Amino acid sequence: MSTPTPAASTPEVASPVTATATNVEATGPSSNISSTDRAVLDYLRLRGFTTAEKLVRDSLESQGSPAEPTPGPSTTSTISAEDFTKRNAIYNQDVQRSGGNALKESSTVLRELGSMGNPPNIQNLIASIGSVGAEEVLSLDPTDKQEGFRELEAWVDGSLDMYRPEFRPILFPIFCHFYLDLIQHGFKEAALKFFHEFSPSLQPQHSATLHHLSTLLLPSHVQNDEISQRFRNEKYQIRMSKSGFGLLVGWLTEGVGGEAPGAGEGFSGEKGKRGRASVMRVVNNHLKFDVAASNTTTVSPNAWEESTGLLSSLIPQSNGTMITDPRSFNASKGELKLGPMPIAEDLQTETERILREQAMVDRDPNSQYDVQWARSLIPTGVISPSMTDLLPHPPSFQTADVKREVEKVREARKRIRLEPSVLTNVNDETPQGVVTRARALPSICAYTLHDVGEGAPCSTFSQDISLMAAGFSESYIRLWSLKGEKLTGFRSDFQSSSIKDATTLRKQKEKSGTTTRKLIGHSGPVYSVDFDPASGSAAPPRYLISASADATARLWSLDTMTNVVAYRGHQNPVWDVRWSPMGIYFATGSRDKTARLWSTDRTSALRIYAGHLSDVDCVRFHPNSLYLATGSSDWTARLWDVQRGSCVRVFIGHQGIVSTLAFSPDGRYLASAGEDLAINLWDLGSGKRIKKMTGHTASIYSLAFSAETSLLVSGGADWTVRCWDVKSAGGMPSKALEPDVTNRTNGVNGIVEGDDMNPSNFNLKEPGENIQTLDLVATFPTKRTPIVNVQFTPRNLCMVAGAYLAPEQR
Amino acid sequence: MSKPGPKPRASATQLTGVYKPESIRDVAESLNIFSLSDQVAGALASDVEYRIHQVIEEAARFMRHARRTTMTTSDIDQALRVLNIEPLYGHFPHNPPTFHKAAPWPQPYGPGAVFFVQDEEIDFDRVIREDKITLPKGVRWTAHWLAVEGVQPLIPENPPAIPREHDMDGVVVNGKPGEPSKLSSIFPPTPPSSDRPSPIQAAKKQQQSQQLVKQVLSRELQLYYTRLTTALIPPSDDVKCIAALASLRHDAGLQALLPYLVRWVAEGVVNALKSGSQDDADGKVLSVLLDVIKAILDNTALFVEPYLHQLLPPILSTLLHSSLPPQHATRLRTTASQTLSHLLTQHSTTYPSLSPRIMKTLLLALVSTDKGGGTREGAVRGLMGIGKEAIRKGVVEGGGAKVVGSECGPGDQSSLVEAVMESFSVICPKSFNPTPLDIGDESDATTMEQLRDVLGDFFAERLANDSQQAIGVLAGQQV
Repeated sequence: MSTPTPAASTPEVASPVTATATNVEATGPSSNISSTDRAVLDYLRLRGFTTAEKLVRDSLESQGSPAEPTPGPSTTSTISAEDFTKRNAIYNQDVQRSGGNALKESSTVLRELGSMGNPPNIQNLIASIGSVGAEEVLSLDPTDKQEGFRELEAWVDGSLDMYRPEFRPILFPIFCHFYLDLIQHGFKEAALKFFHEFSPSLQPQHSATLHHLSTLLLPSHVQNDEISQRFRNEKYQIRMSKSGFGLLVGWLTEGVGGEAPGAGEGFSGEKGKRGRASVMRVVNNHLKFDVAASNTTTVSPNAWEESTGLLSSLIPQSNGTMITDPRSFNASKGELKLGPMPIAEDLQTETERILREQAMVDRDPNSQYDVQWARSLIPTGVISPSMTDLLPHPPSFQTADVKREVEKVREARKRIRLEPSVLTNVNDETPQGVVTRARALPSICAYTLHDVGEGAPCSTFSQDISLMAAGFSESYIRLWSLKGEKLTGFRSDFQSSSIKDATTLRKQKEKSGTTTRKLIGHSGPVYSVDFDPASGSAAPPRYLISASADATARLWSLDTMTNVVAYRGHQNPVWDVRWSPMGIYFATGSRDKTARLWSTDRTSALRIYAGHLSDVDCVRFHPNSLYLATGSSDWTARLWDVQRGSCVRVFIGHQGIVSTLAFSPDGRYLASAGEDLAINLWDLGSGKRIKKMTGHTASIYSLAFSAETSLLVSGGADWTVRCWDVKSAGGMPSKALEPDVTNRTNGVNGIVEGDDMNPSNFNLKEPGENIQTLDLVATFPTKRTPIVNVQFTPRNLCMVAGAYLAPEQR
Repeated sequence: MSKPGPKPRASATQLTGVYKPESIRDVAESLNIFSLSDQVAGALASDVEYRIHQVIEEAARFMRHARRTTMTTSDIDQALRVLNIEPLYGHFPHNPPTFHKAAPWPQPYGPGAVFFVQDEEIDFDRVIREDKITLPKGVRWTAHWLAVEGVQPLIPENPPAIPREHDMDGVVVNGKPGEPSKLSSIFPPTPPSSDRPSPIQAAKKQQQSQQLVKQVLSRELQLYYTRLTTALIPPSDDVKCIAALASLRHDAGLQALLPYLVRWVAEGVVNALKSGSQDDADGKVLSVLLDVIKAILDNTALFVEPYLHQLLPPILSTLLHSSLPPQHATRLRTTASQTLSHLLTQHSTTYPSLSPRIMKTLLLALVSTDKGGGTREGAVRGLMGIGKEAIRKGVVEGGGAKVVGSECGPGDQSSLVEAVMESFSVICPKSFNPTPLDIGDESDATTMEQLRDVLGDFFAERLANDSQQAIGVLAGQQV
């Protein structure tokens, strides 16, 4: 690796040296000094370094020319003799001065320099060394990066306000590459110094990646680590305006163009040039600029999140063409069928008939309008899927289906309408304000679990709110009847031959029972549970599906209260499981980076959705069951065509793991929450981010839309439930409010500052990070309950669940 | 290649991570490898740290999916399992260890902060005796309303309300907890505790002080307090009132309420007197409040002494106020003096200076020139409450009777006069067969002279009817 470089460098170096040598032949002081040494001495004298000259002369005379120290092992064989001696001369000098420790280091350093593949640089270095000690010269390599980054940062910070938002994203990739370079070349200490000096300014946005990088300390780590390899092999994409890019290029080449005020002499000096050269190297090799014609002023502060990063691998590459922009990818996938799910015509007519009959019987003046509700209007602007687009279902409908549809219509009529948009400009103090609040905000019923041992990772309510299920870290699931009814299964000792009809079957039910039931079968923590939606809100669900760390999903029959099927296929813990909107099918997401589609009657997966670069943390079905959304630890969410198995949308913008998702009931939006404590709202049609909602102070565990898509409710580890106005524009409050608002969020947790138990303290990055956007309409703190599940009933009552966290866990 | 001596850039090594080369060396020595070079140790330390981080990053996923914010040993076990490493058996997530920081290292080049797991010391005897082991109940749920139509109900399941933004302003600017002195509230600030928001977030204004009381007192006591005060005032239902007073007189466990009750009484008295109206209701209120004070004093379970200085003003105000509602005036003053007497008999032993001080106040009220009849009467009654000696000192020797007498016309039968006469009879009760002083008799004449001298003409005339009493009154003076 190192051999070719010094060899190639010989001619350039040799020429000036020989020239000086011939000129000063006559002054040669002692006979046994070689011509090169003399050349060096002359050179030193010419430059006026008399002491250095004297030192060199002394050393040469005392040692004699052959008394060379052991040269660096690998360089000896291939370097030309002249070059070799010249270098040794410098080393000698060094040895004299600083106690002999420089040699080893300097040789390795030089080797590293060589391996970096920039011969002219070294030549320049060596040529410009003068009499400066070798150690100092060679240690310039790490400082080079330090210097380069400092200047870049100064330049970015000193740039005009309008350019700064688009320049700031450059810092992060260059920082990463510099750090990785330093580690890879073994300058561990320099790398750590570099990290400590410059990481704080990047910490707010990139804390996760930075922490990961800080764990890499040896060259082998860099080679094996996934993220560092992605940095190495993929181009980091940055979006920039044309004029901004022009300025950057200007700075890189000339050192001019919007420099920082008072940047100092480092700028024009040698150091500055070398620093810029190293920045340029990273820019050339690892960055990709997406130069947009758009005006800089139109770029919002958070826009960089969507267009910056190692995007190429995050975007699925289908037919050979490289698409590196999420926008063009999303556009290339064409339109989606986001309309509501069609209902079979015969089922529809049957539903209407029943509704009409019931309207006659009930004599409820309102129920006569039910029939009108039954035919839901197809919203404009979305394409509705046809029956053939749906996943295959049994051709004929059953009584349960009719009941479900009838109930759906009635629930829709009885629904409480939530209109948070009326809240704008409403004063909470006035009585009218209170009334509007009541209209705009939901009632929330909190179910708190007590005395939970190791934790309850998941919980869910059935649609008819008759059952609650929770999965526990102790590998079991517990069911509760919320109506206080007894949960009974079947006796285990009956003869199947004795069952003739429904009544004889009912006789086999257990006689005694309690309102709670433990379902045992998993062998690892249960991470997700979901009730079968087939019976809707008309009847209790008949099945429960669960996912666990034991890499299985299990189907539980709620008639028998037993485990019916274990679905094996994932190789790793299954993080999430969800039923499709009509039951029968369900999807799982796993640590093995795939999501899978299953049908209850097959034990193997029907589809595998592969493409995420990391764990699939959550899966959700689109309300019309045509699409599946997945959220992943690679910080992206994707939308898949359920039947084709292809990715149709990719949502890039989170700066952390995507922890949970929710589709809006009208099928147009997807809300995603990430470990960056933000909730992003995406437009499915275009794949663009509509807005970013911030305010949570700890991880967000669950999201739910109200039935009219007007309100989003989120619950998380900061023990709060928050309500967001979906339709409002959001955005940051004015600056003056900042400290106040952050303080209030702390107050919400009901915690004294400095309390270690406060979950918000862990994630509090900086005050600016926790600013509540204006679309946060209400915050409801609980005492100490992290909210693991939020859910809306069909009538828009909000149900939340969580396990109470005892203050002292001892 | 190893070189003797430490590396030149010693300062830079501090930047390395948490796992130190020294630890590697310790491990190596435990494996009988003594010649481990610095470089090897350093590289190994770096690598070990990287691997630890790998495991931790993996475990963090399990922690996140378990919806926890604390990593437990089970997360690490799961992580090791998926990384295809044998888990570390024998660690359980129950009772997560708490780490304690060791005392700082005495040497300058110490290894930095040292943490250790502190074992709990369990006293077997105690455990066996206390017999506290109970079976955990198992998981159960409770449901409550977190919000009703967008408003969070103030029920115990929900955390106390947060103050509105504009109330927070001052606190935020200070950056410090709001000083208790700033609070206009009557309630002491609550000490901060981990499971309850600190008072910083609470009260700044009166409305918040209402909320603060909710934090200080238990819910039951709050309820009791409101019930009690509403039963007593306005005094409408006698039965309720009597029941409330009885409860106050006999119930234990009200100590926490005492400051609030005292405050409430004081405020009630001030309000009733300040209004100046002479109507019936005020009089009733005052009498009820005096009853409350009496009840508080009667309750043996209460430790009243710290609050005596707060209890006295209401009593003395009632006693000495110039214009009490006329129908109740006498009764109120009598009751107040009785209460005062009661208070003094109970507490004068612990507060020897108490009665002199009160006497001084009463004397001032009695003798000073610009006081009304009501105040004077109250003072006399108050002195009666204190005792014989006080009356003698005040009314007889102090010239109280003289002052009162000079203000009364002949034949005056006002309550003030009556009060003074009563006070005389306290010193020396009326004789059963009063024999008037005989002017002619010489000894009686001197007595009369003395009476006129000491008590003034008015009262001398009055006392002249009963020679025995007159002699008694004077006798006390002469002693």
